[in-house]
Amino acid sequence: MTQLTQTSTGLVTDDIALPRRRTVQRTGALSTRNLTQLVSIFGGLALWELVARFLIHNTAFLAPPSLVAIRFWQMLLDGSLVYNGWVSFEELIGGFVFGVAAGIVIGAAMVQWKPVNDALEVWISALYAAPIVALAPILIIWFGFGPWSKVAVVFIMVVFPMIINTQAGLEGVDRRLLLVARSFCGSRWKTFYTVALPSAAPFIVSGMRQSVGRGLVGVVVGELFGAKAGLGNIITTASSVFDMPTLFVAVVTLALAGVILTGILRSFELRLAAWRDVA
Amino acid sequence: MALIELVDVGVTYRRRGGGETVALARTSLTIAPGEFICIVGPSGCGKTTLLHALDGLQTPTSGRILIDGREITGPGRDRAMVFQSASLMPWRTVVRNVTYGLELHGVPLRDAIPRAQAMIDLVGLTGFEDRHPGELSGGMQQRVNLARALVIDPEVILLDEPFAALDAQTRELMQTELLRVWDETKKTAVFITHQISEAVYLADRVVVMSARPGHVKAIVPVPIPRPRPASARRDPQMFAVEAEVGALIDGAHAEVVAV
Repeated sequence: MTQLTQTSTGLVTDDIALPRRRTVQRTGALSTRNLTQLVSIFGGLALWELVARFLIHNTAFLAPPSLVAIRFWQMLLDGSLVYNGWVSFEELIGGFVFGVAAGIVIGAAMVQWKPVNDALEVWISALYAAPIVALAPILIIWFGFGPWSKVAVVFIMVVFPMIINTQAGLEGVDRRLLLVARSFCGSRWKTFYTVALPSAAPFIVSGMRQSVGRGLVGVVVGELFGAKAGLGNIITTASSVFDMPTLFVAVVTLALAGVILTGILRSFELRLAAWRDVA
Repeated sequence: MALIELVDVGVTYRRRGGGETVALARTSLTIAPGEFICIVGPSGCGKTTLLHALDGLQTPTSGRILIDGREITGPGRDRAMVFQSASLMPWRTVVRNVTYGLELHGVPLRDAIPRAQAMIDLVGLTGFEDRHPGELSGGMQQRVNLARALVIDPEVILLDEPFAALDAQTRELMQTELLRVWDETKKTAVFITHQISEAVYLADRVVVMSARPGHVKAIVPVPIPRPRPASARRDPQMFAVEAEVGALIDGAHAEVVAV
């Protein structure tokens, strides 16, 4: 038993609950895997193009990717894509920052003080499981058509997974490290700051990565229900006039944003968890 | 002149769902400044409970523990613990693990780092300052663990089976190294182990404990001169003391079986 604690340094808690480990698979510039992915992407686009051009013949029903690409370029030049994208991005970041901050504080409070946990636990697990995006219309009524209603929708999408991940991270702290802090006369706050928080950091960033996708859904749904600008607004107006290319431009932009933001957080997560992989 | 005095110390745990476990009963012991005490005994004899009580992590339910005449009420800067598992922060480098105790004591990093460096040199880890614990062997991790305790310059250093998880060769090497470091720092040391040869090689006096409830069964002085190089292990006197301690522990085991 002691052998186990020795060989695997520090944390031997429940590894299964921890964020996924880095798979050491950074091979050459173009591995077979990358090649297959490229073929898949271009094959898929080609199929879409062929179906749209020769089977459907109706751009109000399905626009081929070539038309979407042209429309993308036009919207980039006339500034409408940048403007609306920026509006959505600001709403996302606003709600995300508030949601992450509140999630960490609430999660930490629930771990530190038992009564807080007992009072909130039931609400949080219920709201996390519920399709909370359904509250978007109510939030639009409360906060209006401007950006703040969307910030609120993103917030409620982000805050619950953040609470739950922060909690899981803080509860998984190695008790032996807490004992070290106590032995060195560590105050409650210093112990939290030097032991609990660093232990939980990989979980917290993992929660942020999971939340960013939910936040994007929040922005779009919020904008669908009522907005003056934003990518969701483009989707609503384009679909009302069957302007498929424009609609797809918005969808593709959202997909790209999701991939990029998740990728950034993923690399952040890997860097933070690097010490785990050394052992 | 005694540095540490344990007077009738008892620790009783309340079991879940009623009932009590007496981990330690009426234990009295006096430790002189600069003395190296080893505590041996079967598992469940309250060794770790005793050490935690000395560190202030465990409050005795009866009796008193005095250091320099002051009663222990909690962890203090005059004592430092070397834990059984290295218990290093995996996200901190070696040097920042060693400064950890100093940081908690409010020592600014610019003062803590040179002090940590001196300890890292003392325990023989020069050149590994910027490694993370995961990159170190078990023996090296325990050296960091030791340096982290020594750097706060405590009066008493408490060691909880720190070499238990090491292989036999590393273990003997670490014992010799520990004596060298102890000779240089002149700390009072209380070392827990279940290995008799380790206890006899390290200690001025070996305290033999017995289980259920844990109590001091006998105290065996080790009259082997210091410094004790690695070759002192093969001193015939050493074997004689080991045999004596061994017999006492067998007796302690017999008591456990009888109960």
